[in-house]
Amino acid sequence: MNCEQARTQFVDYWRGTLDDADGEFRTHLSGCERCRAEAEELKDLWGTLGALPEEDPSPGMRVRFYDALRGWRQQEAQRRQPLWWLRHPAFQAACAVALLAIGIGTGYLLRGRDTTEVSQLRGEVYNMRQLVALSLLQQQSASDRLRGVNFAYRVEQPDPQVLSALLTTVNHDPSVNVRLAAVDALRNFDDSPVGRNGLVQALSKQDSPMVQIQILDQIVELREKSAVSAIQFLLSNPSLNPDVRQRAQWALKQLQ
Amino acid sequence: MQAVRDGDLGGLAVLFERHHRSLFNYFVHVNGNRDLSEDLVQDVFFRMLKYRRTYQPERSFTAWMYQIARNAHVDSIGKRKFEVGLGDREFASANMMDENLKKKQEVALLKQAMSRLPLEKRELLVLSRYQNLKYDEIAGILGCDIGAVKVRVYRAVRALGQIYFELAGEKAS
Repeated sequence: MNCEQARTQFVDYWRGTLDDADGEFRTHLSGCERCRAEAEELKDLWGTLGALPEEDPSPGMRVRFYDALRGWRQQEAQRRQPLWWLRHPAFQAACAVALLAIGIGTGYLLRGRDTTEVSQLRGEVYNMRQLVALSLLQQQSASDRLRGVNFAYRVEQPDPQVLSALLTTVNHDPSVNVRLAAVDALRNFDDSPVGRNGLVQALSKQDSPMVQIQILDQIVELREKSAVSAIQFLLSNPSLNPDVRQRAQWALKQLQ
Repeated sequence: MQAVRDGDLGGLAVLFERHHRSLFNYFVHVNGNRDLSEDLVQDVFFRMLKYRRTYQPERSFTAWMYQIARNAHVDSIGKRKFEVGLGDREFASANMMDENLKKKQEVALLKQAMSRLPLEKRELLVLSRYQNLKYDEIAGILGCDIGAVKVRVYRAVRALGQIYFELAGEKAS
């Protein structure tokens, strides 16, 4: 055993997990003054390192966690509850009857009325949502920009200006949360080639592993085969986060 | 964690009680900032919930948790836009209080030496020494093999030793 090989065993020696059945390590140590001195000197340091006292977090941390947990549970419950009763056959039947009744009633009431007024009003509401989304996306505060992304969800007809603002947000917003929400909002633009292409282009511009993983998942959902070269380019980066690498390899397999 | 993955959010409270202290210490040793560390612990549990479907039961939970913790820490550096050099300031009070006791003085000196270590070495020592993670768990977190982990830990201890003995020499002279 040479010095270099012996040094790879030092950590096991300090930890007390060294498997030196043939005694090679100890033989080297007893014959090499330099390794012996270094191993012993650093062994003491390793011991002191383990004796560093643990710190206690403040009691407020636990309170904040349980507050947050309550919020997460409520969100989860809200998310699950509709799924439960939406799937119930009795509810579905009742909905069908109610919708039929509303349809007949509305048709009866609106019969003969000027429907242009209604469509004008709808156009105005749509324009207003679009304006609110665009202006909020340019705010300083991350929470305002998040609200902007939420408004973008509510713009019913895919609009090129809103799409362009969302893509700028995905590529340049400093907040990871806002970027994640914007990537999610791009689902509204699944049918737009610009939206799909923008999503693929965004992959190479992201530095956050979370955003990269979400984009990869969305690309796979869309079965966007043009993303293959972008994913291969991502994988060529040697310092890529291991989780992202695993996801990208999976995505590549799904697309090929 | 499997229960949480299957939708039992109450399981997250069990995980919090079991791991929050060691996660908090991980962050404190890595960034030296208690307030930030408390925020990051909360962030880790939120991310666990959000990404619970990426958890694979056949992999070590601890390794998965620390991988999330590392990502949360890296993102927090990005937000603060500066390199996390701890400086000696955070540890000055420990130094003052403990100066009469040799053992405690050593600990204070060691904390100071840790703060001067580059981030990736400091992180490796925290995982292997304080958090007592196994080699294969660290290898899983860092994405390298066990042999490389052993060599890197050795190099980190040697680098720490150089700074530590230098500081001890300055204090003695």
